[in-house]
Amino acid sequence: MGALLLVALAPLIAASPIAQEQAPGQALLDTPYRVLVCAESADEVVQIAFDGVTASVERVHTVGSLPTEIEGPHGLGVDPSGDAWYVTLAHGLPYGSLLKMDVVSGDVLGTCELGLFPATLCVSPDTGLLYCVNFDLHGDMSPSDVSIVDPEEMVEVGRTVVGAMPHGSRLAPGGDRLFVCSMMDGTLVELDGLRFEVRRSLSLEPRPSAAELAAQLEAKRAAEAAGRPVPIGPDHDHTGRLPRRTGRTDGPEEASAPDHGITKPTWAAPSPVAPFVYVCLNGASEVVEVDTLRWAVTRRFATGKAPYNADVTADGKTLVVTYKGAQQIGVWDLASGSERARIEASAPVPHGVVTSPDSAYAFVSNENRGSAPGTLDVIDLRSGRRVATAAVGLQAGGIALLPRRK
Amino acid sequence: MLLPFALAGLFLVSPLLAQEVPATDTEPDAAQDARPERTLVVRPLEFELAVNDRAIVEAFVAGPDGQPTDEEVFFFSRSRRGVSVDGDGEVKALAPGDHRLIVRTRRKEGNRLEAQVLVHVPMPRLAEIRLDGDLPALFTGDRIALEIQAVDVLEGLRESPSFEVASSDVAVATITPWGEVQARAAGDTVLTIALEDQRLELPVRVAPNPAARLDFGSLPDTARTGDVLRFEATARDIDGKPLPSAKIQYSLSSRPDDDLGAAAGAQVALDGRFVAEAAGLHTVTATCGSAVAQHTLRVAPRDVGGKFELVGRGPVLDSHTSDLWVWTGVNGEDWAVTGTWGANGEAHFWNVTDPAAPERVATVTVDARTVNDVKVSPDGRLCVLSREGASDRKNGVVLVDVSNPREPRVISEYNEGLTGGVHNVFADGRHVYALSGGRRFDILDVSDPISPQTVGGFELETPGHSIHDVWVVDGVAYSSNWSDGVQMIDVGGGNMGGSPQAPVVMGSYTYPSGWNHAAYPYEDPETGRFYIIAGDEAFPYGLNITGRPTYPRGWIHFIDFTDKANPVEVARYQVPEAGTHNFWVQDDILYVAYYNGGVRAVDISGELMGDLYRQGREIAWYLPTDPEGFVPNAPMVWGPQPHKGNLFLSDWNSGLWVLKLIQGEG
Repeated sequence: MGALLLVALAPLIAASPIAQEQAPGQALLDTPYRVLVCAESADEVVQIAFDGVTASVERVHTVGSLPTEIEGPHGLGVDPSGDAWYVTLAHGLPYGSLLKMDVVSGDVLGTCELGLFPATLCVSPDTGLLYCVNFDLHGDMSPSDVSIVDPEEMVEVGRTVVGAMPHGSRLAPGGDRLFVCSMMDGTLVELDGLRFEVRRSLSLEPRPSAAELAAQLEAKRAAEAAGRPVPIGPDHDHTGRLPRRTGRTDGPEEASAPDHGITKPTWAAPSPVAPFVYVCLNGASEVVEVDTLRWAVTRRFATGKAPYNADVTADGKTLVVTYKGAQQIGVWDLASGSERARIEASAPVPHGVVTSPDSAYAFVSNENRGSAPGTLDVIDLRSGRRVATAAVGLQAGGIALLPRRK
Repeated sequence: MLLPFALAGLFLVSPLLAQEVPATDTEPDAAQDARPERTLVVRPLEFELAVNDRAIVEAFVAGPDGQPTDEEVFFFSRSRRGVSVDGDGEVKALAPGDHRLIVRTRRKEGNRLEAQVLVHVPMPRLAEIRLDGDLPALFTGDRIALEIQAVDVLEGLRESPSFEVASSDVAVATITPWGEVQARAAGDTVLTIALEDQRLELPVRVAPNPAARLDFGSLPDTARTGDVLRFEATARDIDGKPLPSAKIQYSLSSRPDDDLGAAAGAQVALDGRFVAEAAGLHTVTATCGSAVAQHTLRVAPRDVGGKFELVGRGPVLDSHTSDLWVWTGVNGEDWAVTGTWGANGEAHFWNVTDPAAPERVATVTVDARTVNDVKVSPDGRLCVLSREGASDRKNGVVLVDVSNPREPRVISEYNEGLTGGVHNVFADGRHVYALSGGRRFDILDVSDPISPQTVGGFELETPGHSIHDVWVVDGVAYSSNWSDGVQMIDVGGGNMGGSPQAPVVMGSYTYPSGWNHAAYPYEDPETGRFYIIAGDEAFPYGLNITGRPTYPRGWIHFIDFTDKANPVEVARYQVPEAGTHNFWVQDDILYVAYYNGGVRAVDISGELMGDLYRQGREIAWYLPTDPEGFVPNAPMVWGPQPHKGNLFLSDWNSGLWVLKLIQGEG
């Protein structure tokens, strides 16, 4: 059964725009923005057009090959040519897969099996290759990898181990390096996109105090003396710091396990114009700025609860962050390091965000819960207001912007 | 062994086949003799490399002066299982075939330079041709299938080898185009089987066939369609002495009662088992050398017709309905629970004490989009709900106290190791078997349902393994594993030393389609044969969630597991143009949820062989439809369960139904 791939184009969904007061200055655009959003628990990818005033569903693509099971379309990306888009399916038998879709016809152009829970993807205009993290969300916290795919032939051409639960990943402006953060070991990794090798790794976990180090040493000695297993913590930076337990969380963070990092980095958003990467620390409710020249954290921004995804505008001035645990979206001025606006999302569990190439808008997906449909919010970055919303489908997640074409 | 290009004496291709790819960003109107700004130089462009050998592909970007520049070049393989290449261009051959490497530059001023390198990896040299097994003694008239293998120096087997065969005396014996030795006359010959530079010579002696006659013994003169008869002929020599090693061949001729273009309607297996699909006269012929025996019997229609009558129903029209479970509660009343699919994480509880009027008495909502499976413990107190599509992606199971199903009470939620999604569960009392992320099943001790504990589990080790369902009977788990087929696992009752803490595989069977979706054990009380009934699930034409019916495919496989080490697939039940889902066996009747084909009752008594549908073993069918259904008027039966003389079933589009099977009134 797995051989057949199902893709159906549903007709226009009636009444998908949610009534929204028109903001002053809103005007119809000559060419609409078009956004793709995954409905992860409906196995759909929804195409939404925003005409400057209203966001409405244009098409619904049903994806997957196991119709009675949730395969979970998760990550989205658009080919640099603008002719195709890509979506990852998190679950298969048991491995997930990557689909290549024709922008115009919606036809499946190719498929490629990847690893466990393939998630975020990017296509490099520089190397022509596609990079996709294998999130392995439901695995045993063993290190997972990045799949490198030749999208022309839709074959996997490489795999590189990066960390436990690699999630948010984005290419450096040049397209030759991929920044990947791994939730469960608290690292940011720079992957060489040409040699498929990890160039360097940075721990984003807090440094232990001297007292913590001493306590860990004591615990280690006691364990050794008693013949017990030596406590193992997230010692990826080799500082010998204490292992910490995150315990069970009540918030909407991703599935977690104890005895791993506490910062849970979920997204890496490079600046298109400056040598910085902004990393969402979902477990620490902050975003850190990493200087890629010094390879060190240079600033910390206290955010709303559980920052999850982020994007830097093309002009490099604004960082937009989804606060998954707060049903809010933060708009940050990067020059001053201040939060310029905090916007209520139209539905719980904000997930993905992408900004428009003109730095005017941010498009945000909100998962929602249960059978309540997810939504897409359009944020006017000039006014800092939510100006349009559209209903999407169950558990709206991955998001990508199509090239603007009439 | 590393073969640097400079020492490439072993390459079949000249280094002159280096490729120079000019950059396309050169000014088009430049002087003809102008050198391109950028040229990708790759050498060799094509070469041969033996499995496990290595070589270097040299690549650089040359400037206008032809000299190498420092522009980066990178490599990748489009056939990583055939040939690998690292960042420095070192190539290793992994498997035979023609494989392509890509050499590419980064994009510069809008252009990338690229070249393809073709690596020929020849088949490893053949080491030997060998016969798998022994060649038995041959007698005139025998036809024996040979298993010949071509093995290379790396212990790999050639796929579909085209052997050349010959016989030194074709009057004595030959090899047919289908790989059989055909013994023609007494005498000696040498059979030669050759491939490439290897040959296998088989000295063969054909003896006169001692069989003077054949007899079938006592056989019935009549049977019904679907009855399996064993035509086990005995060969005897001229003195009447049995010849147990004689090779007997069976053939069949038929005269069906329906002669209006009908098919022959019967089959006889290589071992003499016979079954008829069509009524009529059927003659089985046994031969051994020149000895022949025949037996003709009249086959009558099976005539097991019956019908389903509608008893009652509990419509669910606002969502898709998934699985069901029916049980007698602690208060003596009868209850049912149904799940929901692609909805709000609900499970509905029904009082079905009066099966003519199921009453929905409660709904439990959990954090999920799909509650695919629902099960209740044998004591009727604990209900297990599976969860998929949780809002926080932390799926798992929910344990519900159903001592009073009118007021079901969530006891606990257990997600440890299950967050990838639980598609199916089984509750056998102290333990709950829960699928995890489609990869394995975990075994949970729920003796304290407030604090379940994972005590064991089972996961295959095959590449890309997956699992869809698990069913447990008497301490043996039957798991359904798509392309890995069905697995029979001792979890405490299989006498193989297994336990919930340490399951032990008892047997397994795979079939080519990879559609294995459900499994159910059945021991035929008449013959003592033990079958695992395996069901498919397939949607070659997609799944229409709204608006239109769906047209699944697939059938029921009957696998004879009487010899657990050597299971054999012996029969099928296949309704044309429809697809199977879940099923249940009670009193020699198989109840199949056949999705768009409704629900079917099938007589599976006695030994099984061939196509049960065509043999007329189907007793009754019913198509549940509702014009107000989630998809209107579209039967899509998910699961059946017999209970106290009625058949309960869940339908994906219309909810809970109760039927009664009336036999003999079809």
